[in-house]
Formats: sequence, C-alpha cells, structure tokens
Amino acid sequence: MMIGELEINPSKIICVGTNYMDHIEETKLEIPKEPVLFPKTLNCLISNDQPIIYPKMLYEDPKMNRVDYEVELAFIISKTCKHIKAANSYEHIQGYTVFNDITARKMQIKDIFSKLPWFRSKSFDSFGPIGPRIADVNEIKDPHDLNLELRLNGEIKQHSNTKYLLFKIPELMEYITRFFTLVPGDIIATGTPSGIGPIKPGDVLDATIEKIGTLSNKVILEGEMGSV
Amino acid sequence: MFKIGNTEINPTKIICLGRNYLDHIKETGSPVPKEPVFFAKTLNTLITNNEPITYPRVLYDDEEKRSVDHEVELAFVILKTCKNVKTENAYEYIQGYTIFLDMTARSMQKADRNINLPWYRSKNFDTFGPIGPKIASPNEIGDPHDLTIELSVNGSIKQSSNTKHLIFRIPEIIDYISKYVTLEKGDIVATGTPGGISPILPGDIIEASIEKIGTIKHEVILEDINNK
Repeated sequence: MMIGELEINPSKIICVGTNYMDHIEETKLEIPKEPVLFPKTLNCLISNDQPIIYPKMLYEDPKMNRVDYEVELAFIISKTCKHIKAANSYEHIQGYTVFNDITARKMQIKDIFSKLPWFRSKSFDSFGPIGPRIADVNEIKDPHDLNLELRLNGEIKQHSNTKYLLFKIPELMEYITRFFTLVPGDIIATGTPSGIGPIKPGDVLDATIEKIGTLSNKVILEGEMGSV
Repeated sequence: MFKIGNTEINPTKIICLGRNYLDHIKETGSPVPKEPVFFAKTLNTLITNNEPITYPRVLYDDEEKRSVDHEVELAFVILKTCKNVKTENAYEYIQGYTIFLDMTARSMQKADRNINLPWYRSKNFDTFGPIGPKIASPNEIGDPHDLTIELSVNGSIKQSSNTKHLIFRIPEIIDYISKYVTLEKGDIVATGTPGGISPILPGDIIEASIEKIGTIKHEVILEDINNK
C-alpha cells in the first residue's frame, strides 16, 4: 500500500472509538475508562483520490442507508513492539497521516444494541481512506496540537484539534501493546471529533489535518463506473 | 508469510463467525442469529501447531478477568480474491480446510459486550489464534459438513460435535461475508464453535482435532513480561 511516496505493509488497523468528548456527547456513548479498540480489515484501505464505494445493500435499505465520515489522526508503527511504556512510545512511530473511518451508522447502532461485534459496519471495501502522505514523526513536534477538519462538498462539518483527544498517543501505545504486538506498517487511528454526518453518492470529502495535508475522496454508488 | 504445515499462506485478515452451533448459543445465552454474526481477529493472534498459547498477565493477575476459553473451529483458507460470491460458486474460492482455535478472554468479552463495547481486545491477544496442523485440500475433505470436531484439555474431552450441526454453512458464509468485504488469497475464515467451551489455565495441554485434517496441540504458558 502506498501512502504518498511511502510504501507500508500493514498487518492490521486498530481504531480507537469514543476518544473526543464532543463526539461522545453526540453519539450518547459512555465516557470510557480505558481506550475502546476495534479493528478494521485491510480491504477497507484506499488512498487519496480513490473513490469511497457506497454499498448497494446499504443504499437500497431504508433501515441501513446511513454512512458517515469520521476524520481521524492516524499514526504508523515503525518497529515491532509489545508492552512498551508511554515514555518510549514515539520511538515506535514512523509518522502521522489522515484517516477517514467511514462507518455504516445505522448498521453499527443496530449491532451495538444487539450486543454484536462492531465489525461489518466499519469494514466494507473502501471504508478506510488514508493519506495523502505520512508526515515523519520528527516533522510534527506535537501531535496533540493539530487542527483537523472535514469538509463535505466544500462545507466544514467537523472541526477540532487533536489537543482534545481523551487518550493521547503515548497512553494509547502503552495500552494497545499490553494486548497486541504491533508490527511495522500497522495503522492506529485515534478517534474522531464531533460533527459526524451522512454522505451520499456524488459527495466529495476533504479531510485535512494541519502539517499533514488533505485527503480527498469522492463517494460513488457500488456498481457505478470506477467501483470495483 | 505464515506456514501451516507445508503450505505458506499470506493472510490479510481472519474472519470468525460467532453463534454458529445451537449448543454453543445455548451455553452462552445468546439469541439465535437470523444472519451470520462475524468479527475479525488480527494476525498477531496466529501461532502454528505445537507453539505455546500465552496466557496474558493482564488477565491472569486480575481475578475478575482470569477466564480464557478454548473454542475449536473448522476454518477454511481463501484461494483467490473474491467479492459478491454466489453460494453455488463458493467452493471455487476455497484452497482448503484447517483447524482454528478462537481463544477468548470470556469475562472480558462479556463485560465489554454488556456496556456495548466492541468484541475486539478479548479475542486478539497474541497467540489467541492457533491454527494447523495442515491445510487439507477440498479433495481430501470431500464433504466439509460431515466432519467430527473435538477438543480436549489435559486428555479430557470438552468439545465434541460434528460440522453437520453448523447453522450457516460454508457456501452461505462466503456469499454473506463477501457482500461486505473482499476476501483475498490466504484469508482465513473460521466457522464458529460447538458447545463445551471451558476455561484453561497455564500448564494445560489443549488438543483440537477435526476428522480428515488432524490434531493441533498447544501448551498454555503464563506470559513472562520481562522476557518478551
């Protein structure tokens, strides 16, 4: 997988849910005592300028036809690590990028309240746009002071700053590696701020994080020209 | 790359079915699903035959969380990239069959589910996905829905069933999953576990067998954080 000029070979994508207070309030989820983790599978990855494919099975079902954008700061792992301490976490980070955690919202809510896994709603093909590049860990002095925003057809929908992250990157690294070995190329997405909302075929999403750049993706309906 | 017996595979994901045998659904008190329930395990879980299952310290040292269960499952490995597969063509996309152990931190899973959190961390500790001892070809297996499946702990049989009791069968599973995600060559799909799950502890020896495939054997060892 190429992100800008860099090739990465991720084995997994780990996402942090409910990690901005304002997003927790809008989704009415509980404030977590420890980070909430879920995976996305690699079939969801697309790069800058590739289309997000709106699945027909969601589009045609009135109970399922809501798909949301979620702009997130993500970081890429540089070396294999397990049980690392928060203080050493940056040694294991290659750099930062923009991730859009596209989510089939009605399906997710239905599954959550049926005590089912958060998987299918998050991992449709193309539901993980990433890019436009990896900003080197040394290029970004403080990853917790970056403006991030998402524009839908040019209109600002999400606007926040990574300083509002509930669990910050060192804590996330320490927590995640208590459970799982991370390997080079693995992608960790840190969660989304408030302002989530639905997309439809034809929309254009621009997700921007200060010092990294803008990730642009058009939404197309599954089966249309250009979809797989 | 990952070796199962003499065959090298390069999986991008592991997809597991939950709640796919009636007796297991009853023992966990879950509702019978109307459609397949599936979730992802990440690749850090994979170990091969005879490698130890590591009992995580973070679970062992906390009495409320000291509950790790075995779940023996028939798994199949994907032969070629596929999406939106029809049931009648499903077998064209299967390279072969193997045994998978979906190790699960049960009390952690229940606690997470009760507060509407993802089924992720409890399923994905390193070594929580033993697989092997070989990939049996479709020709060797014949009918994959008529295989005895069994698991013993320290020589005493805990799970004993037959794949004919699967609620959702392999063609339906491929049809259903590939509506959501593209399956890639080497991807692993585990079909769910029968009744008889029970807790394991360090020192235990687990043996899991499926007719026409063989047996995998794993010792459970306590994680040594200082010697990672």
